[in-house]
Amino acid sequence: MRGRNKNWLVRIIAGGGLGLLVGVVWVPYVTNSRECPPLALLACAGLGVVAGVATQPFAESGRELLLRSAGHFAVTAALFALLVVELEITLDWTGVLAWEGLLALLYVLIWLGRWIGWYVELSQLRELLGLAPGPSPLKWRETVPYLPFVLVLCAVVPLALRGIERAVGTDFPALTGIVYPLFILPVASLCAGLSLGRRRGLCPLFPLACFVCYLPMVYVLDQTVALLHCFMTAVPALAGNIMGRVFPRKASKEGPGYGN
Amino acid sequence: MGGEGGCGMDVELKIEPGRGEPKVVILAGADSPDLQQLVLELAGLSLDPIQVWTGEQALFLPQGEFLRFYTQGKGVCAQTKGGVYTVGLRLYELEERLDRRRFVRISNSEIVNLDRVAALDLSLAGTIRMTLTGGVYVYASRRYVKKIKQTLQLERGRGR
Repeated sequence: MRGRNKNWLVRIIAGGGLGLLVGVVWVPYVTNSRECPPLALLACAGLGVVAGVATQPFAESGRELLLRSAGHFAVTAALFALLVVELEITLDWTGVLAWEGLLALLYVLIWLGRWIGWYVELSQLRELLGLAPGPSPLKWRETVPYLPFVLVLCAVVPLALRGIERAVGTDFPALTGIVYPLFILPVASLCAGLSLGRRRGLCPLFPLACFVCYLPMVYVLDQTVALLHCFMTAVPALAGNIMGRVFPRKASKEGPGYGN
Repeated sequence: MGGEGGCGMDVELKIEPGRGEPKVVILAGADSPDLQQLVLELAGLSLDPIQVWTGEQALFLPQGEFLRFYTQGKGVCAQTKGGVYTVGLRLYELEERLDRRRFVRISNSEIVNLDRVAALDLSLAGTIRMTLTGGVYVYASRRYVKKIKQTLQLERGRGR
């Protein structure tokens, strides 16, 4: 335990030192000035420290991993925002949010990479134990049968409704603007997510597929509000999927191993 | 009682009533690495039944019957398909007595019978859930995954 603490202390000091060094060299270059804003240097050193301890959240699993990751992300996001503001990379809060969004995306990618490592490890264990292979990574294979439905729900039907609206020549697109996205789409997404969840458990790619499939409608329907509709399909799909996971089918032919 | 095994090796079994620990004697013309390996593997085998308690009654159950051993409060419990029993040993003591090929520690508080693992699941948060026969769920700590893999590779890989 003592050795481990020493190891982390070394990482913190090395990370902080390297971060500070990078800050001293890089900050004047970015600001085009000889002066280094002290807060920017502090942010650089802090980011070095969080990079040094970046593997710590993944040392555990379950609730502890989520809590540590959330804590690590919160500290990193705060330091990153400080750096962005100090270096005047962006001048308004929406710009800062955009940079934070990129940071979040990086986090998701790192997490995904780590998860794939765990999955490979688990596959090896399954093989060594002589067990049947488990579900595909992130259950992409289990999600595929639902994709045609998602395509119809999120692309074909809105386009058909828009075609009807144009044919009729209505001034206000009530079908594609209100009725479908606010009433039919969430209910259908919830039901589809529920069905998938009850059959295959939690499939995180399903709500993502709903979001992505509806995304082109923002441009096709020429409605910027359609971006909100992407969430009107993705969020109910996720909720339904979680509900299906919580209340699975009683008689599952697949047996244990498909529930998670 | 005697018999002839396959693979060109004679296997003889003698039953001695009253004997506790089984004894294996290997007769060979010359020493070889394969023989040494066999000796190591046999030495690692533990076939002794484990003493468990149900109330005031003590029972000796064969190792194969156990699903898992786990700490509960200050004591250690053993679970079989039939029920849960109290064990008068610590987990580290059990680790020494149990068959290394079959039992492995999966967390600070649990040892499972690998022969009784029916399924493995991975959650999005990296938790490994083991489903044992009879629908018993246990959770493996990530810190022990390497050790579990090593045990399986060493102990089961040899058998292949």
